[in-house]
Amino acid sequence: MAYEQFANRLADIVGKANVLASEEDRKVYSYDGTSTWTHKPDLVVFPTETEHVEAVLKLANENRIPVTPRGGGTNVSGGSVPIRGGIVLVMTKMNKILSVDAANLSARVQAGVVLMDLQTALAKERLFFPPDPQSFLGATLGGIIAENAGGPVCLKYGVTKQYVLGLKAVLPTGRIVEFGGSTVKNVVGYDLVSLVTGSEGTLAVVTEAVLRLLPLPPARKTIIALFDDLPKSGETVGKILDAGTIPAKIELLDNWVVRSINRITGMGLPEDAAAMLMFECDGTEDVVEHDSRNVIRVCEEVGATQVLVADDPAKAQAYWKARSAGFAAVFGAAPTVLAEDVTVPRTRMAEFIQRVTAICKKADLEVTVIGHAGDGNLHPSVMTDAKDPAHFQKAQRAVDEIIEAAVEFGGVLSGEHGIGLEKQKFMRRTQDPIFIDLMRNIKDIFDPNGILNPGKIWEDRSG
Amino acid sequence: MAERLENTRKFQADVEQCMKCGFCGYFCPIYREEHEEKGLARGKDQLIRSALQGEQDLTKGFYEAIDNCLLCRTCVQYCPAKTRIDHAVTAARADYVAEKNLPPAKRIVFRYVLPHRRLFGLALRLASWFQGLLPRGQGRFRHLPQFLSALGAGRAIPDIAPRFLRTILPERSPAAGAPKYRIGFFSGCATEYVFPEIGEMIVDVLRNLDCEVVFDRRQGCCGAPVYLSGDFHTARKMAARNVEAFEDYDYVVTGCATCGSGLSEYPTYLADTPEKKERFERFAAKVKDFNKFVIDVLAADLDRLTLKPRFHGKTVTWHDPCHLARYQEVRTQPRKILQALEGLRFVEMSDADRCCGLGGSFSITHYDVSRKIADHKSDAIAACGADAVVTACPGCMIQLRDALARRNMDVEVLHIGELFTVRPQSKQT
Repeated sequence: MAYEQFANRLADIVGKANVLASEEDRKVYSYDGTSTWTHKPDLVVFPTETEHVEAVLKLANENRIPVTPRGGGTNVSGGSVPIRGGIVLVMTKMNKILSVDAANLSARVQAGVVLMDLQTALAKERLFFPPDPQSFLGATLGGIIAENAGGPVCLKYGVTKQYVLGLKAVLPTGRIVEFGGSTVKNVVGYDLVSLVTGSEGTLAVVTEAVLRLLPLPPARKTIIALFDDLPKSGETVGKILDAGTIPAKIELLDNWVVRSINRITGMGLPEDAAAMLMFECDGTEDVVEHDSRNVIRVCEEVGATQVLVADDPAKAQAYWKARSAGFAAVFGAAPTVLAEDVTVPRTRMAEFIQRVTAICKKADLEVTVIGHAGDGNLHPSVMTDAKDPAHFQKAQRAVDEIIEAAVEFGGVLSGEHGIGLEKQKFMRRTQDPIFIDLMRNIKDIFDPNGILNPGKIWEDRSG
Repeated sequence: MAERLENTRKFQADVEQCMKCGFCGYFCPIYREEHEEKGLARGKDQLIRSALQGEQDLTKGFYEAIDNCLLCRTCVQYCPAKTRIDHAVTAARADYVAEKNLPPAKRIVFRYVLPHRRLFGLALRLASWFQGLLPRGQGRFRHLPQFLSALGAGRAIPDIAPRFLRTILPERSPAAGAPKYRIGFFSGCATEYVFPEIGEMIVDVLRNLDCEVVFDRRQGCCGAPVYLSGDFHTARKMAARNVEAFEDYDYVVTGCATCGSGLSEYPTYLADTPEKKERFERFAAKVKDFNKFVIDVLAADLDRLTLKPRFHGKTVTWHDPCHLARYQEVRTQPRKILQALEGLRFVEMSDADRCCGLGGSFSITHYDVSRKIADHKSDAIAACGADAVVTACPGCMIQLRDALARRNMDVEVLHIGELFTVRPQSKQT
């Protein structure tokens, strides 16, 4: 379809400078944070107010133009890739924090606000928004809501859907709607806020959100424990939680990452450590003191080979920086890295990691496993090269096996990244057909012409 | 004909480093104003990668993307994948210029004016007469009138100095005591023609710290504005001339952050043979920023530094120039100097190393964004309550003066070399 004819009409809505159609602009809106999926849009449109989104969607709906909403483009599922062309609706220019209500622990933000900017503003009032997807430097709140994002602290604090009180959104037919409100308790009818949250931009375009906040914990402490065998680390996590302590974060790093941290930072961690756990306890001074004593005691009891405690914020920061560096090294380690997002019951985590290692060893593939050990959300990353078809196929087969194993272990194929394009084939394979049927019917009610983010989650991407 | 994209290809590994996480958005001063992917390091990287794969021509749109970068390196500093997008962008500019030539204004300035010191001086002298017709601002600044709006309407531009540095400074300034080093002083264009008094003061400090200082007349433009705009051909001639002039000194010291990094990066961009690479590297190792030289090389006794009376009781803050903090890792040294000056109060502003938005000719070609970026700097300076902002880059100084004048802020902009003199060596030692 020729979309050029619509460029002028869109320019009348959002202004000429907010409609881009050059080859280069289309190219830089053809991707997200994945390495596998790209497709160029025909037009790039930047709304700066909700009414713009309303008018753009009306025009698109009348003319059956596909519209793919996009925030910071940091998602890793293919969710914001305009797989059927049409319009990419970029929300990054709607980036105002409209109000912060400290007394009611809530804030009203536009969809394009970047999480880090929100946290910086909230910290001045001793508040924070708990969900912490690690893309916080680029991810927008609209995208975080669309993906129902999680992150390390979700063990203690829960995921995005627990922190969205209300939404202002535009339906694909061009109708502005407001769901939810600004109170924590709200049982007025179906919970459409939760339905839109995590819908990966297929049901409505969120333009504003009322977020639930918490007071910023005044104290925090970081503890690192190293283990010479993997099951011990799993056992430690279980015992800490049994003892009544819920740290904000429990991060698991495998031997591969431990060695890369040593290489990058010279921290001198034991090179033969099978696993490393990183804990962060937060709360008031006395709670942090109590919780970290518990964590250290359990680690020692189970038989950690080394326990390191960061006594001051600078050291803690250095530890977390080392973890980020180790994590980043994974992506630089091979031309293509297939990073998975499976989640298994916590008690079967160690066993599952051993299975992953065995699968990759059998296929002669390099793999590393990092994850949020507290909630069993793991990111096995298989190193390969998309330009080497034989190797790439082998890696993809291994990933298939990993995902099947996760399901077999009673887990799910995606904990926090979403389905998008990346996990579609597994979605169909692992879910009851009635589930997909219900989603299709819900989608039809919201989007009768199927224009909003088509080809994602359960839908066939070729259309 | 040269191989297509021959410069960019040299930095292919840098281009392929990007893992598309998009974290650069948080750090890019331009993206934070424009919020468009083409301005982002990730967007530029993808376009350059696409060109290397033969899927992207060197179009106007491509040039707009790679031209829309301050080369401030903030994203490089924080990139989890350590992508050197500055390398990729600079090399892509060079390939664009090789294939399509420079925009006309830059072509004339880079190829005919900058390389010829006498002509440059004459052109500026001529310009200074015309400047007399411009409305006068505060101090030695004038405002550009509306009809020069291409250069930024209402912008404050510095006066051209009444006397240029080479008519003031002797070729050789002897060390005050027993000479420790024989150093070549590299003034840079802005110090030579706009702030010659700063050049004099720096030489005076170095002389009193027992260095023989030679203001070698053979020096020209450092070439940074030229090669960072992609004109490697002209910059190679400039590099040859500067290396020839300076390679026999113990050190080459400059008070200009951009010149310091400009000279240091000859091996990265301008060495086209292994011999030249080796020679440029030897030269680059001698290049020292003024602050770094005083603190790290001379390990000067800071008790000897005496604050000039007019700054007594003043509160100052430090602005980290990109070309000093990120290009040369000079951050602690100027702070040590400022904190050692008795009678001066030093305060940190927030985000002291945030780019001022000048980016050389970027501030002319993209004045609107440049100004918005500078406004954040003005906010930080106002919030910290300083009477003066101190830095060590004449380029930043011009930008900061423009930004502060626009807000009518009564804050001085100073070069660190202007603040103090050096007491003679104490007798005990």
